[in-house]
Amino acid sequence: MRRILTLAGVAAGLVVGGATAYAEYPEKNIHVMIPFSAGGGTDVPGRLFSIELEKILDTNIIVTNVTGAGGTIGATKLSKEKPDGYHLGFMPVGTTTTQPHIRKTAYSDKSWEPICMVAQGPLYVTVAKDSGMNTFQDLIDRAKEGGVVTGGPPPGSLPHIAQAAVALAHDVEFTYIPHEGINEVVKSMLGGRVHMAIWFGDAAQRFDLVPLAILDSKRSEEFPDVPTAAELGKPIEHYVWFGFFAPAGTPSDIIEKLSAACEEAVQQPSFVEGMAKAKRLIRYMPTDEFREFFTDQYKNNGKLLRDAGLIK
Amino acid sequence: MLQHLPSVIDQLATFEVLLSILAGSLFGGFIGALPGMGTVVALIVALPFTFSMSSPAAIALLLSIYCSSVYGGSISAILINTPGTPQSAATVLDGYPMAKRGKADYALGWATVASVFGGLFSLVLLVFLAPQLAAVSVHFGQVETFALIVFSLTCIAWVSRGSTIKGLMAGSMGLFLATVGADTMTGFSRFHFDIYELQGGFSLISILVGLFAFSEVFYRAAIREDEVKPIPNVGFKVAPWPEWKSRMRCLLQSSAIGSFIGVLPGTGATAATFIAYGEAKRVSKRRDKFGTGEPEGIIASESANNAVTGGALVPTLALGIPGDGGTAVMMGVLLIHGVTPGVQLFKNQPEIMLGAFVTLFFANVILLLIGAVGAQGFTRVLRLPEPMLMAMVLLMSLVGAYAVRGNPVDVIVAVAAGVVGVFLRLINVPMAPIVIGMALGRTFEESFRQGMILKGGNFWAFFEQPIADGILLLTLVVVCWPMIARLIRRRGMAEKTVG
Repeated sequence: MRRILTLAGVAAGLVVGGATAYAEYPEKNIHVMIPFSAGGGTDVPGRLFSIELEKILDTNIIVTNVTGAGGTIGATKLSKEKPDGYHLGFMPVGTTTTQPHIRKTAYSDKSWEPICMVAQGPLYVTVAKDSGMNTFQDLIDRAKEGGVVTGGPPPGSLPHIAQAAVALAHDVEFTYIPHEGINEVVKSMLGGRVHMAIWFGDAAQRFDLVPLAILDSKRSEEFPDVPTAAELGKPIEHYVWFGFFAPAGTPSDIIEKLSAACEEAVQQPSFVEGMAKAKRLIRYMPTDEFREFFTDQYKNNGKLLRDAGLIK
Repeated sequence: MLQHLPSVIDQLATFEVLLSILAGSLFGGFIGALPGMGTVVALIVALPFTFSMSSPAAIALLLSIYCSSVYGGSISAILINTPGTPQSAATVLDGYPMAKRGKADYALGWATVASVFGGLFSLVLLVFLAPQLAAVSVHFGQVETFALIVFSLTCIAWVSRGSTIKGLMAGSMGLFLATVGADTMTGFSRFHFDIYELQGGFSLISILVGLFAFSEVFYRAAIREDEVKPIPNVGFKVAPWPEWKSRMRCLLQSSAIGSFIGVLPGTGATAATFIAYGEAKRVSKRRDKFGTGEPEGIIASESANNAVTGGALVPTLALGIPGDGGTAVMMGVLLIHGVTPGVQLFKNQPEIMLGAFVTLFFANVILLLIGAVGAQGFTRVLRLPEPMLMAMVLLMSLVGAYAVRGNPVDVIVAVAAGVVGVFLRLINVPMAPIVIGMALGRTFEESFRQGMILKGGNFWAFFEQPIADGILLLTLVVVCWPMIARLIRRRGMAEKTVG
């Protein structure tokens, strides 16, 4: 009798198990991890994007913010999740391509299946309104005399690397004061203690800062009068991007499904409107292109950090 | 700006907005009262709801959650000796002893009215002086912040009942705990012993939950108190006017301290409450009663922490720079709603500002209602059988410690801190200084190191800043005053004996 019961149990298990294997993905809630705090620079596009995915995939998307240590705590956690398509992450360039070089993270570029790029933001060289500097040349002139103080997030962050690149290209030196984030930097700028900061366009708008140059290959729509670094003599390009990732080993049919959903999501009018309201730029890159781009970025940023002497 | 008032009120007097204020206040008060889950968690939970709301309703929801969650922390501080939020850690010092004497209803009354007063006080400053205060805030630089924190650390002496040495040791422990994790100045992680979850450092919340909530539970489980407890009064009672009148000075002073610290960068609400508490004790005639259930202790802490709300909103609304963790989350939501706080908002969309002010007014006043009605239920918690109450505290605290960052190590840290807390209780080391040290440690170190870079590595150049000098001088006076006072008294006595 017991044997029969066991057999029946096994049979039932097989039926149920078989059914799961063939069921349409997604059949349960999907967790999207954002490695920075709610309401922040990564969180806003991440949440707007998740709202669209929820509608397209017709399932619940649970957004969790796992914060700390430049996003590496969240990324490490995600890299250890089961690659079943139910644990995904919305992560920026720093967490995925610079932090692994700076810290000994348990994850690397091999730990992810890149799904798509969702958003991007070029960096601007900005100064406070009453700084007395009106052009990029003013800044370089002042730096030549010595005494330009610049601020940004902790060393190894994108703005830190970018200011090092600008200084190197124009053969000047900036004094870098690390702050916790852009809010603290702007306070120092408005108080006149920090003269220049490299940041995204939204900060220039929000805090009424004057952008002097854009570190991109072309001028932007939001600040059409601001020259590119190349126009100013040295081509320097630094921008942040935000991508949608799955842990490595996620089945390819699930990645395909997510890739299609991503393409649809970024085109939704509500997403476009939401991003515009938050002054963020949508930049979509499909899976194949993004995978290649990501691998390149991982390598290049490692090289940049070594060249800047930030890592050995 | 005032000419917009009628149209703004018209715009706000919708069912959606009023419901948002009511629901936000109830929800915020509830989450604030749960140990571990503070303002930021409450705001994050509400965040997805705002996506589908109109902008005025979304702003109303968040502002009411912001105010009421700060208030809510006092409820658990008073009733179960566990601050619901770090901002209410100083409320424990006098709130719980008062409740222990059976006067929980009065304690809640003092806390509620003080909270509302502090909130409204800072709102008045916000409405009339926001641009001026914002200018002060940006010119208060690294060196001044460093000096202010040196001053703030003196309040450790005031909250350490009994042994000052033990209090200072506890304060140092807090400062050391704050050094764990990412070092802003280098970008590297320190003292994490290769545990990747610790790279983000200890969260103040998990240490707080451990030291207060868990250690309370463990202590009560391990040590049987045979004393007969008075049956706690349920409900909510506001002390008569003469009692308030004689404490008016404390109320005003603490509200001013809270508002001012809220405006300044980096110091934060937790430190503000302790400074207010320390200052209240220093100037009070009832100094000796502090720590035994003196209403002034509750007033100082609760008016200061709610006053921080208006203060922290000054840089948020006037400059677009969030003043603390809670306002940072709100900023994100405002951006999603296409409202960009900052200089432009004041000039171009004054009606949004005015709407926020009117909402804040109601969000503060409604706390009276929440306190009065809610207290009927809250205070009954004290009549629960103790094992049941303790089990609830344990469970909620565990969830709270985890919810802050979603980091499992925070739960382990909280439990460990609970065990350490029991030990500290047994040897009479005060816990509050650990919280002060942790709340200030990071900014203390960062402002010093940033200041050193700014001054080219010359510490003596710190004294070129007159404001910093003033604050440091004040610190010196405060530290030396008890000694000087003793000298003067002794000389006075000597003269008398000679005469």
